[in-house]
Amino acid sequence: MTGMLLFPGISLQAQDETKPMTVPLRFDHYYTYEQVVEALKLIHKTYPDLTQLNLIGKSEENREIWEITINNPKTGKPLEKPGVYVDGNIHGNEIQAGEVCLYFIDIMLSNYGKNEKITRLLDKNAYYVIPVVNVDGRYHFFADANTMHSNRGLRRPKDDDHDGRINEDFPDDLDGDGNICQMRKKDPNGKYKTDPEDPRLMVRVKPGEKGEWTILGQEGIDNDGDGRVNEDAEGYVDPNRNWGFNWAPPYVQRGAGDYPFSGHGMKAIAGFMVNHPNILVVWAFHNNGGMILRGPSTKNERMNPADIPVYDYLGKNGEKILPGYKYMISWKDLYPTYGDFTDFTDNIIGSYSFVGELFPTKKETYREMKEEQPKRTGNFILSGSGNERDRERLKFNDFLAMGMLYKPWKPFHHPVYGDIEIGGWVKMSTRLPHPFMLEDLVHRAASAVMFTAGQTPEIKMQVLKKEKIGKNLYRLRVRLSNNKAIPSISYQSVANKVYPKDMLTVSGKNIRVVAGGKLTDIYTDRVNYKDYKPEVQFLQVPGFGKTDYQFLIKGKGKVQIKFTSRKAGTLIKTIDM
Amino acid sequence: MKYFFTLSRWGLLCLLVFPGMIVRGQPAIKKYLTPDEINSRILDMARENTERAKVITMAKTPGGRSLQMLEIGKDLKAGKKNPAVLVVANPEGDVPLSDLAVLYLAGYILDHQETLKDLNWYIIAGLNPDAEMHFFQKPLYRDQRNGKPHNDDMDDQVDEDGFNDLNGDGIITQMRVKDPAGVWLPVDGDQRLLRKADPVKGEKGMYKLYTEGLDDDGDGLYNEDGPGGTDVGINFPHLFRAHTAAGGLWPGSSGEAYALMKFVSEHPEIAMTMVYGSTNFCLVPPKKGRKGSVDMNRIKVPKDMAKMIGADPDKTYTMKELIELVQPMVPSGMEITESDIAGFLGLGAIVNPLDEDLKYYKELSDRYKDYLKEKGMNKERLDPAPAKDGSVELWSYYHVGVPTFSMDFWTLPKPEKKKKKKSGLTAEQIGKMSKDDFLALDNDTLTVFLKEAGAPAQFGAEQIKGMVRAGQLTPEKIVTMLKQMPRKKETGQGDPKMQALVVFSDKYLEGKGFVNWQPVKHPIFGDVEIGGAVPYADNTPPPRMIDSLLSAQVPWIFTLTGKLARLGISDTRVTPKGGGVYELNIWIENKGYLPFPTAMGKKNRHVPPAVVQLKGQVDFLEGRDWTPVQSLGGKAVKKLSWLIRADKSTILDVTLESPNAWGDRKQIKIGGVL
Repeated sequence: MTGMLLFPGISLQAQDETKPMTVPLRFDHYYTYEQVVEALKLIHKTYPDLTQLNLIGKSEENREIWEITINNPKTGKPLEKPGVYVDGNIHGNEIQAGEVCLYFIDIMLSNYGKNEKITRLLDKNAYYVIPVVNVDGRYHFFADANTMHSNRGLRRPKDDDHDGRINEDFPDDLDGDGNICQMRKKDPNGKYKTDPEDPRLMVRVKPGEKGEWTILGQEGIDNDGDGRVNEDAEGYVDPNRNWGFNWAPPYVQRGAGDYPFSGHGMKAIAGFMVNHPNILVVWAFHNNGGMILRGPSTKNERMNPADIPVYDYLGKNGEKILPGYKYMISWKDLYPTYGDFTDFTDNIIGSYSFVGELFPTKKETYREMKEEQPKRTGNFILSGSGNERDRERLKFNDFLAMGMLYKPWKPFHHPVYGDIEIGGWVKMSTRLPHPFMLEDLVHRAASAVMFTAGQTPEIKMQVLKKEKIGKNLYRLRVRLSNNKAIPSISYQSVANKVYPKDMLTVSGKNIRVVAGGKLTDIYTDRVNYKDYKPEVQFLQVPGFGKTDYQFLIKGKGKVQIKFTSRKAGTLIKTIDM
Repeated sequence: MKYFFTLSRWGLLCLLVFPGMIVRGQPAIKKYLTPDEINSRILDMARENTERAKVITMAKTPGGRSLQMLEIGKDLKAGKKNPAVLVVANPEGDVPLSDLAVLYLAGYILDHQETLKDLNWYIIAGLNPDAEMHFFQKPLYRDQRNGKPHNDDMDDQVDEDGFNDLNGDGIITQMRVKDPAGVWLPVDGDQRLLRKADPVKGEKGMYKLYTEGLDDDGDGLYNEDGPGGTDVGINFPHLFRAHTAAGGLWPGSSGEAYALMKFVSEHPEIAMTMVYGSTNFCLVPPKKGRKGSVDMNRIKVPKDMAKMIGADPDKTYTMKELIELVQPMVPSGMEITESDIAGFLGLGAIVNPLDEDLKYYKELSDRYKDYLKEKGMNKERLDPAPAKDGSVELWSYYHVGVPTFSMDFWTLPKPEKKKKKKSGLTAEQIGKMSKDDFLALDNDTLTVFLKEAGAPAQFGAEQIKGMVRAGQLTPEKIVTMLKQMPRKKETGQGDPKMQALVVFSDKYLEGKGFVNWQPVKHPIFGDVEIGGAVPYADNTPPPRMIDSLLSAQVPWIFTLTGKLARLGISDTRVTPKGGGVYELNIWIENKGYLPFPTAMGKKNRHVPPAVVQLKGQVDFLEGRDWTPVQSLGGKAVKKLSWLIRADKSTILDVTLESPNAWGDRKQIKIGGVL
């Protein structure tokens, strides 16, 4: 527990720790790393039958990475159900992703047995939730002075500026307010002048115009005396470029780390996922921009075309649940990334995976409803702010956030630059919604997860026909159907042969399967008989569809028909011949 | 039970050992050793040399064996960190000789103080001990996978259909089965060997070929899911291929490969890698010519990206130009680097060795050939294997960025080719000849030509000449006739490696390198024949050859370590500028032959920079007390300059430090000589 209000200037956004934490959790503030752990323990204590709390690893700085499994043991063991995996905050600064996870856990558990839909959802799947992946990052984002962008990476030493020294030039909180803001200096030769419409902003001077300001960049000093300010902070190893699928070394992909899974947490989570082969759906929450991303992450990879309609169905529904979010293809509509998490889960774990980029900043409005929304450039790094939009955001700050998101410029005496001013957007701004918008954000994001979770396969087995066609010879037709969007295995996994397909097995003490295979036309009795071992059929049950099999069986007595799937559970039917 | 290629047999052969060059204190290596035996030898070495050697356990294999590294250094106990050489043996686990090379090397180092002067050694004898065990087990078969269970055929069972020793000879060879749909034919001249029938030449196959075994799981496939999982030797990240049968789930998914990557990442003092296995970068430089490398000076920007950053999609840009284009568009304080651009545009990794590095590889390969000639080891042999995608060698060169060499020590000798006489004539040339020119051809040449052209045997040179003389034929007509002749079938010779194997086996192994085909009753196929190459016969020489092979080739590594980049301060100068201001010049040099770092190391920025540090009471007017040096060519000198203000009596302490390229230290008195 951090027993203090960390940022007096924006106290509304920190948890009031004088009051004990209670379940259901509150979402009118952000949780520190320690509070997330406390919340998880409290939830587990409150719902011991429906949850398991697992310590799956420790970070570079020895912080605990916790996973909570939600499962109703009365409806089966976790591994016998489709697995829905949700995580957040893999980037240390993207904290509201952790709140989304907490909210998801909270709403599922606190409504179990009360709300019919949620009860059904909880009963049908096993849920694996890791609210904070980058535990060191979350800790330091709260504890240290930061910009809204900083403290993204892992606490692994890396000589970013390649000068032979490691992590020697962090940002410096010169005015001691807990934020790394911007520095500017009065300069008649500067390239900026005060914005006539809002004196807090600056605009570029036109050719020939007299300048007023030079922007000195991030708050800080040149700690290592190399002429550059804040160029070698923590890491930089990006936890979302460190995964073992299509990984590329750091000269190709900044932040990749020296080798795949060099990050402690990444390695621990990969191990966890391999041990939970039932995981079929993945949601990884980030901020920001309002995007629902699917793979592939580079143009050289390929997604199996048969999986795309599944993604589209889930993604497009997600767009409606999360208004203002765009469903996009990661490499094409954003930018290419090597070694990211969801490429790993798509291709190695065999899940349908989404990245939720939370919080479209355009939700910070100060205008009438009807007005046309300003267009994004579609790229996060390069989406320039533009003064018109900044003016509106400042108004939003003034009249809806009561000034908490922006620090007005204040004079400061800098050891190198002399008299300067420090000011600008604070760390708990821009990428993070003001707490009054947090509840809406976490509810809608959790609803998108619940929608996807509702679409995990529900396989039904039906004996279509059981007829005697000769002496002790029977024809058996079995149908496996699924009225949900997600198939029992992704097409990508089938093509990549990552793990065996689902199996339909016919067995019995006094019988022998003479022939068996996929029934391709039920009316004309077309069957692709399997040459060997006809009693075991390898198959996939599609989403919103069915697949039929026919067996010719010699003998009599009890016959067991068994469907086993890594990700869609097991079904057994026994019939008499 | 007849044809054993087993150790006991080799053991007998050991009686005939040729002592070769025996290392002081180290007995000659006379037999192949199991991973456990190697590990215990290594432990012994460490125990006998506690000041200079220690054993680090890096990982446990899925088969329960421990993966050990021997560290050797002069001041190991004192914890002094010298630049170091990493030696990795047998990453694919199927080259027993390479483990012994490591033992030989370690023994040699411990016996030769000069190899430890200011260099440390990290030596892994056998990166893949699970796979290494196959050589010592019965039945004998070769498999590069570690002991991790894996469902190769993606059915309902794991590791359920491995080989079966059907003829009980302790060796897994092949089964040939007569089959109308067969594609294999015996090779003319050696019925033991098989080659693929060529339907284009109208040939029809006779046999189907299988590995020796049963369909244990009844799925119609033979030996398709034997025990074993990941080939450690292809489990590294450069050009790693996902979703292969043996490569592992991801690069470093095997504990063995992961442990090595982690170790190397934590040891920047590693200056060079040597891999003992099946490739030989000492002899054959890394391969070029792979498609996919991006020319960093001619980068095209895709349309939508171009629009975003204001570039022209029809133009090409240099990396520098792109950085300049993007830099103003990002938030202040964020520095755009090459890797940002490479990542943003999805340029991908470098896949061909850089030319600047290849120059050195080629030169060193020539020197190595000279060296081998001196040692009498220059007999023609089959080529070493090319490095595989995902191999240790490629990872070390491309990702670690240090000079990376490899050695394979032995392949089968190239069989001497019977020289065929050639006529040097073509049908076209004959067709254009005058009658007199044709008659002037000597009979031998004409005979060879007629044979080449496929003329019927009864038409001899003299007979044809007679017909030409008599005017029954003209040279032109001869050619027309020859063109109508049915072409004589060219008979295939089969796999040259197999040819080499049978020749070697017959000559040096009393035929024990190849199991002759013998009829066996197979439960499914009925009559089959079992036979073929004995596993390892093509890469594992008889034990009597071990010592001479290793003693000749292993020491080349010391020539290579002598060529490593070695940084030093070659000169200093202080020039007074007046008013207590001085210009300070320091010349730093690379006394080594190899550049610091390799061109690839410069590109991937994995090798830490060298740093010049100045300590003393001075004000820096230009330059600073900490100066990173990113690169310095082989034998090159670089001048560094500072402008300082200091008292005359000041003594400056200058250090040049690099974790993997040594360094230097000097003192400078500002006012003159110390």
